[in-house]
Amino acid sequence: MTTETRPRRPSTLAPPSEAVPPPPPPPRKAEPRPFLLDFVPLEGESDTRLARFFQRLREGQLATTRCPRDGALLWPPRVVCPTCHTEELAWVDLPSRGRIYAFSAVLAGAPLGMEADVPFAVGLVDLEGVPLRLFGRIEGRPWNALAVGMEVRVEPYDVGDGRFFYRFRAPE
Amino acid sequence: MTVRPVAIVGGVTTKFGVRPSTWAELCQEVGAALFREIPELRAEDVDSLFVGAAEPERFAFQSHMAPFAAEQMGLRPYRILQRTELACASGQSAIRSAYAAIAAGLSDVAVAVGVEKMNLPSMAEANAAMACVMDRAWDGPAGATAPPFFAMVAQRHMLEYGTTEEQLAAVSEKNHRFANTNPAAQFYEKTFPRDKLLRLPVIAPPLRLGDCSSMTDGAAAVVLAADDRVPRYTPTPAWIRGTGQYSDFHNLANAGSLTEWVGLKRAAREALGRAGIPVDQLDVAELHDCFTISEIVEYEALGLCPPGQGGPFAADGRGDRGGDLLVNPRGGLLGCGHPLGATGIAQAVEVYRQFARTVPAARQAPDPEWALVHNLSGSANVHSVMVYQAGRAS
Ligand SMILES: [Zn+2]
Repeated sequence: MTTETRPRRPSTLAPPSEAVPPPPPPPRKAEPRPFLLDFVPLEGESDTRLARFFQRLREGQLATTRCPRDGALLWPPRVVCPTCHTEELAWVDLPSRGRIYAFSAVLAGAPLGMEADVPFAVGLVDLEGVPLRLFGRIEGRPWNALAVGMEVRVEPYDVGDGRFFYRFRAPE
Repeated sequence: MTVRPVAIVGGVTTKFGVRPSTWAELCQEVGAALFREIPELRAEDVDSLFVGAAEPERFAFQSHMAPFAAEQMGLRPYRILQRTELACASGQSAIRSAYAAIAAGLSDVAVAVGVEKMNLPSMAEANAAMACVMDRAWDGPAGATAPPFFAMVAQRHMLEYGTTEEQLAAVSEKNHRFANTNPAAQFYEKTFPRDKLLRLPVIAPPLRLGDCSSMTDGAAAVVLAADDRVPRYTPTPAWIRGTGQYSDFHNLANAGSLTEWVGLKRAAREALGRAGIPVDQLDVAELHDCFTISEIVEYEALGLCPPGQGGPFAADGRGDRGGDLLVNPRGGLLGCGHPLGATGIAQAVEVYRQFARTVPAARQAPDPEWALVHNLSGSANVHSVMVYQAGRAS
């Protein structure tokens, strides 16, 4: 630690007048959530080469990447095929319906930022007609009214600050 | 290159539980206990240190954990110093790395220490730390943590095989009962009869509180030595005879079957194959019972019973004293608590003590020669197995 201090600059501000109230502070830009305490990924073109995924979600459509060489549907979306290592992956739209393969619920022990959501249901959902089983939040019904095999819809949603993610919705 | 035989020559654990102690204090405590336990060990003998710690960045905002732990323990390693991180298997990773270094001739005497301080002022913050073990960007936003994942394993096991809550409770009852022989266990002197377990609150259906291991603070350490150094420290070494690991996915979408743990089958086949023994030659096993359903699926994956029969195997006491194989005699993760980095080390300490016959009679395996230690990590997407043999110092 240093004991040296910077020389103070003389103040050029006039002393506050009692007659004129001080001007309001300029509007502050909202601080982004601390990145290390927030699970939702950054979605912009400058953050990720998968910005297209989030753009499609914003348009109401779940999508992912597919390898044109071996035909494999890849989840989560990627920039390189894990099998043949091509970087020439194609975007494909995914079905908007699926069936619950397994589910549970968080009744206690939610991560920071999700405490207000408790109780909430999560599950693995087999998408209709494609070999993909996605994990996600299941809304629309209390957890104890869900069932394995129940049909659910894919639902893109705004996480609250303009970013989009996906979840599932069970019939009400 | 010749592979040198390597043995664990002693080890200790601190008290596990909700500890009024920092990471630094836990490291100091376990270091002091280790030197008391092995009076022949001098700090200058220890040429290498491997530190199993899963998430000091999240639980303590502390990185660069290996020199941190070395200073706390009073060690000045001069060959290899590193941290090993593999979430819930970080401790076993430290042992495996020390084993590899000694076997290769790059180290003669190494310490593997595991430490975790998981209880924070905010449980939600601690739960967020646990959640980032999963695929943060893709599984995290939904709120994926271990309890709902293993709850889905239990749900599928119940659906596919008719496994019951009572069978889950049988695992918890056994491991909590054993924890009552272990003063270092978090749940020492706490009784959990099956009817009480079935009335505890549901955490992630169908799992209740008693089906889940807890957030725990604790540390554990072992000393590993090359065969020519072993007699200096102990007459009852635990020789490492086999090791295996397997991982085939990380994102939950790529888990495949929830009830058939292919990764454990492959890791166990590799480790037992290297040891040259079939599974029925084991005398004691430390299996990763982070949840009751885990131990049930592990019975099956190890081939102790056919697929789907893990529930009856538990309920019939075949993993208990007098059963087919003594499983989790120190109390398991359910009874001891699960300080991530320390768990794998504490399991090895139990193996050493079983071989040395220094555990209380209520949990001593009769004449043990072979032991298996298993850790899973994350969403059971990594399985790590080691096989030990009791023997004299050569
Ligand atoms: Zn490909």
